[in-house]
Amino acid sequence: MKFGILLLLVLALACALGSFIPQGHTLDWYLQNYTERQAALIYGLALDDVFHSVWFLVLAVILCCNLLLCNLLHLPGLLARWKQAGDPEKAPNAAACEAPNQAQPEQIFEKLHMPAPKRIEADGKTSLFSVKNRLGLWGAWVCHLGILLLVIGFTLGQTTTEEYTVYGVPGQTKPVGDTDYTLTIDDFGVEFSESGGVQQYTAQLTMRDTRTGEQQSDSAAVNAPGNLFGYRVYQNSTGTAAKLTVTMDGKLMQEEVVCVGDYTYVLQTPLMIYLDGYQEDYFEQRPGYAYSTYYMGQADQGGVQVDGDIALRYGSVEISFSEPQDYTLLQVKADHYAWLVLVGGVILLLGLFLAFYLPTRRVWAEQQSDGSWTVYGESRKGGALFAEQFREAAGLPDPRQTMSAPPEASGENNETESR
Amino acid sequence: MLQAENVLFTITILLYVAAMVFYFLFIAVKKESFAKIATLIQLVGLVLHTVALICRGIGAGRLPLTNQYEFATSFAWGLSLVSLIFLWRFKFPVLGAFAAPVIILIIGYAALQSREVRELMPSLRSSWLGIHVSTAIIAYGAFGVSFVLGFIFLMREKMQNSAFWDSHVPAREKLDVIGYRSVCLGLLFLSFTMITGAIWAEQAWGSYWSWDPKETWSLVTWLVYAIYLHMRLRRGWKGRAAAIFAVVGFICVIFTYIGVNTFLPGIHSYA
Ligand code: HEM
Repeated sequence: MKFGILLLLVLALACALGSFIPQGHTLDWYLQNYTERQAALIYGLALDDVFHSVWFLVLAVILCCNLLLCNLLHLPGLLARWKQAGDPEKAPNAAACEAPNQAQPEQIFEKLHMPAPKRIEADGKTSLFSVKNRLGLWGAWVCHLGILLLVIGFTLGQTTTEEYTVYGVPGQTKPVGDTDYTLTIDDFGVEFSESGGVQQYTAQLTMRDTRTGEQQSDSAAVNAPGNLFGYRVYQNSTGTAAKLTVTMDGKLMQEEVVCVGDYTYVLQTPLMIYLDGYQEDYFEQRPGYAYSTYYMGQADQGGVQVDGDIALRYGSVEISFSEPQDYTLLQVKADHYAWLVLVGGVILLLGLFLAFYLPTRRVWAEQQSDGSWTVYGESRKGGALFAEQFREAAGLPDPRQTMSAPPEASGENNETESR
Repeated sequence: MLQAENVLFTITILLYVAAMVFYFLFIAVKKESFAKIATLIQLVGLVLHTVALICRGIGAGRLPLTNQYEFATSFAWGLSLVSLIFLWRFKFPVLGAFAAPVIILIIGYAALQSREVRELMPSLRSSWLGIHVSTAIIAYGAFGVSFVLGFIFLMREKMQNSAFWDSHVPAREKLDVIGYRSVCLGLLFLSFTMITGAIWAEQAWGSYWSWDPKETWSLVTWLVYAIYLHMRLRRGWKGRAAAIFAVVGFICVIFTYIGVNTFLPGIHSYA
C-alpha cells in the first residue's frame, strides 16, 4: 500500500507537470520559450507529450499490476471477513463498543437502525445478533476493480483506436482512411435558432462496406454521433465549400466541389489552386472567394473572385468558383475499448458507494447470569460517530463529559449542547 | 426573469452576509439564539438563491450551469447546501460560521463575472452536461465543507481550553470523522462528475478524455483525495494531518475551478 500511495502521488505530479508544460510543441518552440537546458530536459524526458510518453504508459501498467495484486492478495482475507461478519459466533472485537447492564437490548438495535436481531441459544446462553451492510466490506475491492478495468480500457484504447477524418458536401462519397469503407454524405444542414445562432449541425450519412456492398445509414449531429459498422461518426466542424469549374476554350474540363483549405490540381495546367476563404457579402452583395495558386509547388498569385466572374485565366483555361455551400467535417472513430472504460467507471462508482455509504456494522448482545444484557457494537468505518450513536442508543454518558465540562443538557438530539 | 434573478441574487448575497454576521455574533457573544437566527437566515438565503438559479434557468431557457458566473453562483449554492446539510446532520452551527465567509467569497467572485446570457454553442446543449455540472457542484460543495472542517479542526486544537469550543464544537475525533465523511461525499461526486463529463465529451468532442487542463486537474484532485483516503486508512493519518490534507485538497479544487481557466486555457475555457 505504501508503494500504491507513492504511485498515486507520482501520477498526480506527472499530471500536474503535463498540464503546466504546454504539450505537443516542436523542439524549436521549447527552445524559444525555455532555456536551452530546460528545453533539452523537456524533450529528453518526453515532457512535451507526457500523456503519450512511454514512462507514463509504464506508470499506468504498474498501477494496473499493483491494483491487480492488491485485489488478489486481499481476496482471501476479505472472504474470511465477509464470513466472519455474518457469524454471531465470532468473539467481540477488542475495539467494539460495549454497554453492560441493559434491560431491553432490542431497543438499542432499533435505535441504531439495525435489522431485527437473530436470537441464538447456545450452551445455555442466550444472545442476540444483527449485522448490517455486509456488502460494504467489498467497497474498496470493487472500487479497485473498477479503476483497474478503467485504466486497462483507457490504455488499450489509446494504443488501438482507429481515427479518420472525412469531409465533404452532400452527394459526395469519400473513402474512410485506408479502411474498406466509404462514407456518403447524403445531406448536411445547419439549423439556426431564432436569434440567428447555430442550433445544430446534422449530417445524414451512409457507410458502405466495399467488400460486401452492405450499407448502413445514420445521422450525425453535435452531441449525437452516428453509429455505422462499429464506428462512431462525430459531426466535428463545418466550413464553406464551393464549386470549382475549369473550362478550356469554353469546354468544361473539370468540375468539383472544393472546401476552404483544400488544394486542388487544375487539369490542363501546372497549377494547383487553394481556396483560402469565402465571404458572403464581398462586393455589391455578391459573395467573394479568396484563392491562391501554386505553380510547380511555389506560391504564385492570389486574389478574390466575385461570384459570377472568372477567378483567373491560364492560356485558354478559365478557372472560377461558384455555388457556395456548407461542407461537413466528420470524425470517424472506433475505440474498441471505450465500453471497458465505461464499465470500469460504473464499477468504480459502485465501489465508492459501497465503501462510503454502506459501512458494515455488527451489534450483538449477550445475556448475563443475572438476566441483564451486555450489548456490543462494532462499525468498520463509523469511528467516533458510531461510538457516539452507540452511547446515545444505550443511554451511556459521554466519557469526556463526565470528566470535564458540566453537562448543560442531556438527551438524544442535543449533541450541540452536550459536546 | 433575468431581472428577477438579478434582484434575488443581490438579496441572496445580503442574506449570506447577514447570516455570517449573526454566526460571528454567536461566536463572540456565545449565545445560541444568534446561531439559530444565522442558520435560519442562511436557509432563507439558500431558498432565494435556488429561486434565483431557477429564474436564470427559465430566462436563459437552459440549465444555468454553463459559464463562469453561472458556475460560480452554483458553486456557492452547492457549498451553502452541503454546509447546511452537515450543520443539520451533525448539529453544530460553528460550521456555518466558518462556511459563510467561503460562500461569500465564491458568490462575490460570481458577482464579478459577466452575467450576460449568451446563446450556447451546440456542443453545450446536452443533458449529460447538465448532470456533469450538477454533480460537480455537489462535489465542490462537499470538498468546501471538508476544507472548512479541516480549518475548524486546526482551530479546535488551538482552542483546547475554551469552554465555548468544548461545548459547541464536536470533539476532535468526531470532527475528523465528519471531515472524512465530507471527503467521501466529494470523492463520490467528483468521480460521478468525471464519468458523466467523459460521456458528454465523447458525444460532443469525439473523445471521452483528451487531457485538457481542466480534465487533468480534476484527475489530480481526484488522486489527491484518493491519497488522503489511503493515508488515513493505512498510515493512520487522521486528525491534524488529515485536516491539513483537506485544506490542500481544496486548494486543488479551487485551482481546477479557477486557476485552470486563468492559467491553462483549453476546451473547457467557457466554464
Ligand atoms: C487509483 C486510485 C485509487 C482509488 C480511487 C482507491 C480507492 C480506495 C477506496 C475508496 C478505498 C476505501 C477507503 C475507505 O473506505 O476509506 C480504498 C482502500 C484501499 N486501497 Fe485503494 N484506491 C486506489 C488505488 C490503490 C492502490 C494503487 C493501492 C495499492 C496498493 C490501493 C490499496 C488499497 C488498500 C490496501 C485499501 C484498504 C482496503 C480495505 O480497507 O479493505 N489502492 N482504496
